[in-house]
Amino acid sequence: MAQNEIAIDVNNITKSFKVFLDKGSQLKERLLFRKRSRYEERKVLRGISFQVKKGEAIGLIGHNGCGKSTTLKLLTKIMYPDSGTITMKGRVSSLIELGAGFHPDMSGRENIYTNASIFGLTKKEIDARLNDIVSFSELEEFIDNPVRTYSSGMYMRLAFSVAINVDADILLIDEILAVGDANFQAKCFNKLREIKAHGTTIVIVSHSLGQIEQICDRSIWIHEGLIRAEGPPKEIDLEYLDFMGQKLQESTRKELEEKQPEEQEDSGAENEPEEEESPEEKKRWGSGAARIKRIKAYASDGAEQRIFRTGESILFRLDYSVKEKVPDAVFGIGIFNRDGVQCYGTNTRIDKLPEFSLEKSGTAEISLDRVELLPGEYLIDFAIETGDGIPVDYFREAYKIEMISNTGDVGVARIAHKWNF
Amino acid sequence: MNTIKELYAYRQMIASLVKKDLRGRYKGSVLGFLWTFINPLLQLVVYTVVFSYILKANIDRYYLYLFVALIPWIFFSSALTVGASSVVAQKDLIKKIYFPRMVIPISYVTSCFVNMLLCFIVIFAVILFTGAGLNPLALLTLPIVMAVEYVMALGIALIASAVTVYFRDLEHILGIISMMWMYMTPIMYDKSIVPERLLPVFNLNPMTHVIECYRTVLYNKAVPDLSTLLFAAGLGAALLVVGCLVFNKLQRHFAEEL
Repeated sequence: MAQNEIAIDVNNITKSFKVFLDKGSQLKERLLFRKRSRYEERKVLRGISFQVKKGEAIGLIGHNGCGKSTTLKLLTKIMYPDSGTITMKGRVSSLIELGAGFHPDMSGRENIYTNASIFGLTKKEIDARLNDIVSFSELEEFIDNPVRTYSSGMYMRLAFSVAINVDADILLIDEILAVGDANFQAKCFNKLREIKAHGTTIVIVSHSLGQIEQICDRSIWIHEGLIRAEGPPKEIDLEYLDFMGQKLQESTRKELEEKQPEEQEDSGAENEPEEEESPEEKKRWGSGAARIKRIKAYASDGAEQRIFRTGESILFRLDYSVKEKVPDAVFGIGIFNRDGVQCYGTNTRIDKLPEFSLEKSGTAEISLDRVELLPGEYLIDFAIETGDGIPVDYFREAYKIEMISNTGDVGVARIAHKWNF
Repeated sequence: MNTIKELYAYRQMIASLVKKDLRGRYKGSVLGFLWTFINPLLQLVVYTVVFSYILKANIDRYYLYLFVALIPWIFFSSALTVGASSVVAQKDLIKKIYFPRMVIPISYVTSCFVNMLLCFIVIFAVILFTGAGLNPLALLTLPIVMAVEYVMALGIALIASAVTVYFRDLEHILGIISMMWMYMTPIMYDKSIVPERLLPVFNLNPMTHVIECYRTVLYNKAVPDLSTLLFAAGLGAALLVVGCLVFNKLQRHFAEEL
């Protein structure tokens, strides 16, 4: 049939925002400080063109501020481009702002009518969809209660159900698949696939490349207001991830270089008897006989860095100073993910190493082979204890690393595996 | 043309916004919806006391004379002042979701209009109880007069609401403007006492003609002068066209300005 029909045609659009340094919107300010309302013009989109075929799903990817959300806003007609044209065929529904116009005092049912009417549905059309909406939201028992009595999860479920049941020809989605519990998310996903199978055109903006890969036929990578690459999600997403990974490492390296002088000062103050009471102190306790002075992480090639790929080796080097002799020291490490879950922890006692006698400042190293932690931030605790387990210097969240990966597997850590058929 | 088609598609949204506004307006107050009637009645009492006992206007059945003009005026002035802040008030919606922006001023003006219709129940009750009587033929023209006023109010509200987005002072200035406008319209007095020199100003004021029509129908029990009605209709249509043009031009940058 008309499989090749173009549903969205974006032709060379540009958009810039005026960033006012000092804006007055009152008459007095306008008149008196005419010259003062200076602004900078920030070009967000510098000429983007793409076409989306009917029934196709595309994902817009890019880092924060690259212009992907602006593109979506232009598609929804919330804003208009400065130049260029956008042509869209058919009814557009957006899952951008869920629950627009919800009134807390009105019942779920009444809110369905209000909310759906904002999408341009008539009463008759809403009547016809009401059952689908209610059953999809799984809120049958609560549908006549005021929305203010809903939990936030129920609220989002209702809002999502309305938006997805609009039966739009074009569906625009911005980071919404984080709705409700895992079950409901799966349901939303299936519904999206079903909608797509019915020929709805979908545009998704998401940071979750996994979601894009699951639904989209094509990824468009927007970088600094221009399309940098487009193609099958699997390829483009990889390219994008590699790029982002490198960029992150560069910026951390720069950060580290800038920090270096400060740290030098720190170590200069090493010998002062009274240590400063920094906010750090709450995350740190122990007798203080010995202290971890500096922590650094190195990749296998010896480069100092904080970002590692899943599966890489990491070497931590701890510089410590000693105030009083610790005859029976034990070193420990604990790795926690952002949810506070301990991913791994061990110490020299567990590893059956002899106790150390700390007499003067020195360095300890622990090298972790093939760290299979999945992408995300990890906080690392380091500790020095005595042989009886009395903390000498317990340093919580002493170091932060980030793991990156371009594989879409999920969980805490990768488990080596293979499939057999 | 496209705008009209789109607005028609969004009629349910207009309806639900009107309903929400009417229901929500007096939410939480003890007398609730009764305020729709109490408010104009209290104003009526104040003006009647001032103008029939203190300033002595010497007009027969002054309360009725005033009432049939005051209610339409309250509709117009609230459409102007409430309508002006309507778009700003709905900024969360505008920034986040697409719909024809005109829906908002339209629904606000409509809700004020519905309010006026409800107040007309009180007008008819007063006419009935005081035995003032009605002319059925003249009454037939009442919907036309109302429609003309609605168009006029909508035109003004479209301009005011769009300009307010860029220039927030307007909201406050409009309070004064609407008061001045009220005194420059023959509502509390008769047009016949207006000094000759000021008459052109009164004649250019579209509301003068509308108010005169209301009064002719409900107070004088006569069919309004066709030329007055046509003139008012013409002014109303012109206001609406200008309003649409201004609104359409200004609405493109709503999301950024709000």
